[in-house]
Amino acid sequence: MIVAEQKSMEEIYRICSPYEKILILGCGTCVTVCDAGGEKEVSIIHSVLDAAQARTGDKPHIFSEYTVKRQCDIEFLEALKDKAGEIDAILSLGCGIGVQSLAEVFPDIPILPGVNTAFMGASREWGVWDERCVACGDCRLVDTGGICPITRCAKGILNGPCAGAKGGKCEANKEMDCAWVLIYQHLVHLGHLERMRQYYPPRNFHTILRPRRLIIKTEINPGGK
Amino acid sequence: MTKNPSYDHTIIPPCQAECPLHMDIREYVDLIAQGRVMEALQIIREGNPFPSICAYVCTHPCEDACRRGQVDNPIAIRALKKFAVKFGGDKMIRLEAETTHDEKVAIVGSGPAGLAAAYYLRKLGYPVSIFEAHSELGGMLRVGIPEYRLPREVLDIEVQRLIQMGAEIRTNSPVTSLNLLFDMKYKAIFVTVGAHQGLRLGIEGEESAGVVDGATFLREVNLGLKPPVGNRVGIVGGGNVAIDAARTSLRLGSREVKILYRRSREEMPADPNEIEQAIEEGVEILFLMAPIKIQSVNGQLDITCIRMEQEEPDASGRRRPAPVPGSEFHITLDDLITAIGQAPQVPKDFRLRIGRGSTIRVDPLTLTTNQKGIFAGGDAVTGPASVIQALATGKLAASRIDDYLRHRYPAISKEKRASMGDLLPRTIEMIRKFNRYEPPIRPSQERVKEFMPVELVYDWEGAVNEAKRCLHCGIGAEILSRDNCAACLTCLRICPYLAPFLDDRGEIQIAEDQCIACGICVTECPANAIAFRKPQEQRRVDEELEHVIESAAKSKSKPLIIGFCCQYGLYGTGALAGLWRETKAGIWIVPVLCIAKVESRHIVNAFKAGAEGVFIAGCDQQQCPRENTAFWTLQRMERSKKMLAQIGIEPERVQAFNLHASDKNLAEALDRFTQKIGELCLVSAFKKEMKK
Repeated sequence: MIVAEQKSMEEIYRICSPYEKILILGCGTCVTVCDAGGEKEVSIIHSVLDAAQARTGDKPHIFSEYTVKRQCDIEFLEALKDKAGEIDAILSLGCGIGVQSLAEVFPDIPILPGVNTAFMGASREWGVWDERCVACGDCRLVDTGGICPITRCAKGILNGPCAGAKGGKCEANKEMDCAWVLIYQHLVHLGHLERMRQYYPPRNFHTILRPRRLIIKTEINPGGK
Repeated sequence: MTKNPSYDHTIIPPCQAECPLHMDIREYVDLIAQGRVMEALQIIREGNPFPSICAYVCTHPCEDACRRGQVDNPIAIRALKKFAVKFGGDKMIRLEAETTHDEKVAIVGSGPAGLAAAYYLRKLGYPVSIFEAHSELGGMLRVGIPEYRLPREVLDIEVQRLIQMGAEIRTNSPVTSLNLLFDMKYKAIFVTVGAHQGLRLGIEGEESAGVVDGATFLREVNLGLKPPVGNRVGIVGGGNVAIDAARTSLRLGSREVKILYRRSREEMPADPNEIEQAIEEGVEILFLMAPIKIQSVNGQLDITCIRMEQEEPDASGRRRPAPVPGSEFHITLDDLITAIGQAPQVPKDFRLRIGRGSTIRVDPLTLTTNQKGIFAGGDAVTGPASVIQALATGKLAASRIDDYLRHRYPAISKEKRASMGDLLPRTIEMIRKFNRYEPPIRPSQERVKEFMPVELVYDWEGAVNEAKRCLHCGIGAEILSRDNCAACLTCLRICPYLAPFLDDRGEIQIAEDQCIACGICVTECPANAIAFRKPQEQRRVDEELEHVIESAAKSKSKPLIIGFCCQYGLYGTGALAGLWRETKAGIWIVPVLCIAKVESRHIVNAFKAGAEGVFIAGCDQQQCPRENTAFWTLQRMERSKKMLAQIGIEPERVQAFNLHASDKNLAEALDRFTQKIGELCLVSAFKKEMKK
């Protein structure tokens, strides 16, 4: 799940200020789950922007609101085409992917990001999210007891722990568990400590070309030759 | 203000399902909890022809079904109704009915069934005559139930209202032949003669002077005939009539009153409360005992009794009592009252088919008898039953007679059944325990001296606190918009009662029978997918806020401060409204039903409308009957404060008061808050000037 954080209202208000008619657009998937840009947040931000405008007495902005199922897939954005003529800008509460999809579908309308896309992660209790994956494209979780050192170790080292682990906590952040201590404990529990004894050579990040594209379809030649 | 709800997914709660009149109990209890007692009375009057009578004598099957009983004790529904009847001004209500039909209907007997039938037939527009053998109306309400349980004034008011509605009353008019009524141009007859004939014990010496049956005894007392009672009185039986006879004897001056009951206390059919009160007053109950012979000796009664023992429960689960051989003993009494049941005594000339226990045989759905145009109901059909059952029968009879006279096929309405399961142990564990608060009762020494009502009426605080205990069965949250639901699991994680769950297909569901409508998930759902089953509940805060903003704009009071205040408990009773008036600024109140329903949006919208300050006031966490409501409200408030600060609205402008309504410092605290807001206003005005 993609986790995002709302930008401060000050920034949102500032980026909105050049435009008159602004559509606040929520996304019904990841950012709804992380309380950053679902239907409810859309209405709260709408209210806050109205309140800000009422207090400053700026030239009137007209805010409207809408939420689509998923901003990243352009088919979901079709529903907005009718409204496009009436709006000067879209404040997107979707992640960076959503913002870019919108920019692609509505090339004439400025798309304003309302959230900072933070990371890929999960929530264990209401209101707290943790990063769990950096999408490195080379998954080694099989050797690390299902705990990702690239994400959860502050240094992202492949052969840990480093000398900075104290009492199971990380030297970079004393609140945070050392990922390599967790890996060690879990491998002991699984009886696979040998996986930790092997040496992992440095990874070659040069091989990953950005932006990445994933293709699962195969080129089929209909001619059959 | 109330828009028509586009849907209504409320589930019939067990109290309403069990009530023979299917009264909207949940609704009126909730209104009482908000202090809206006149509206509560209105709801009560919609469902019950004689609420003041039920307020005193109803056997309250609703309370037996109440799911709060699974947590601690059921809601005191009858006592709350009594409160609503008294404080809502039921006495002052006048009713009128127009005659729109020509067909006259005769009602034979003026017990609760007859009176209810007359009431509803009048409402339907039929001319109605009530024939009563005694000198006053009421049937068992008048001649059976003692005055300390039902003040006659209450009954008289209801009878007066019926007369106001245009019912013709014919007292001292025993009906001997129904054909005579047809000759008098009545088109339909409702026979509801009750069950006044006391059953006989069938033992030797029952004819002796000093032996009387309970129904006759109570009738004589209630008609003011003052039957002489001795010092030592025995009563045989274990039902309400036995208890009534015993307590009446005490009030007439008997010193020793003993009840002989052949089973044990658990089997005693009388109302447990009544039994308790009788014992308090000094009635002695001898369990597992039965008289077998009565002898009159020198004006005294020598009663031979025998001990009983209970056999193992039979197929029906009831334990049959059996005499213990050789356990006979004697007691000496002045009077013996037999109260082992009653049967109807239907005149032969009525030519009605009689069934088991001398009752009239009717079709239970249409109440028709073997004769055309003659309907029957009440105790005469069922044998001795409750007032509320009789009222329900009367209501049914009225609509069936209407069907008959209008030549309609009777529309059989589906029986209202609650489909709600029991509360799970884990839900019960999380529900805050608040003991039932009983209305005060007169001390026992005082009450045996006269026939004054035993049970008194709640005071305002007592009623409101008792009503607050309602669990709001069947109006809780549901996932209304599946399409919106992002399966974020917020509801599952935050529900204090663990009502949301993932079903076999991995879809989130909210168990309707575990939800107690606290509203936390509704306000927290980030996708707006969850709603209350009752849509009005959902819109209330928005509508009230809108209303307040409109009125405040007209009044132009400055600085404008908007407070979201919980209406439950004493907040709604006006005690708080007085406090607001004491404060100096223009404070406007948005009434909310629990602060848990206040969303961030509402707080922000108040500022949008020009408010200079916003506060939220609700019960503190100890007083609120729901779990975690304050926690979630404060969460939202803090978030709103943060966002408002980012647009230049100082966080000090938002404040929460978690207060007791009795808190004397409330006005002071509010004054401090308004003073603070005043200062902030000055500072910001100054800053604006500087900028210029």
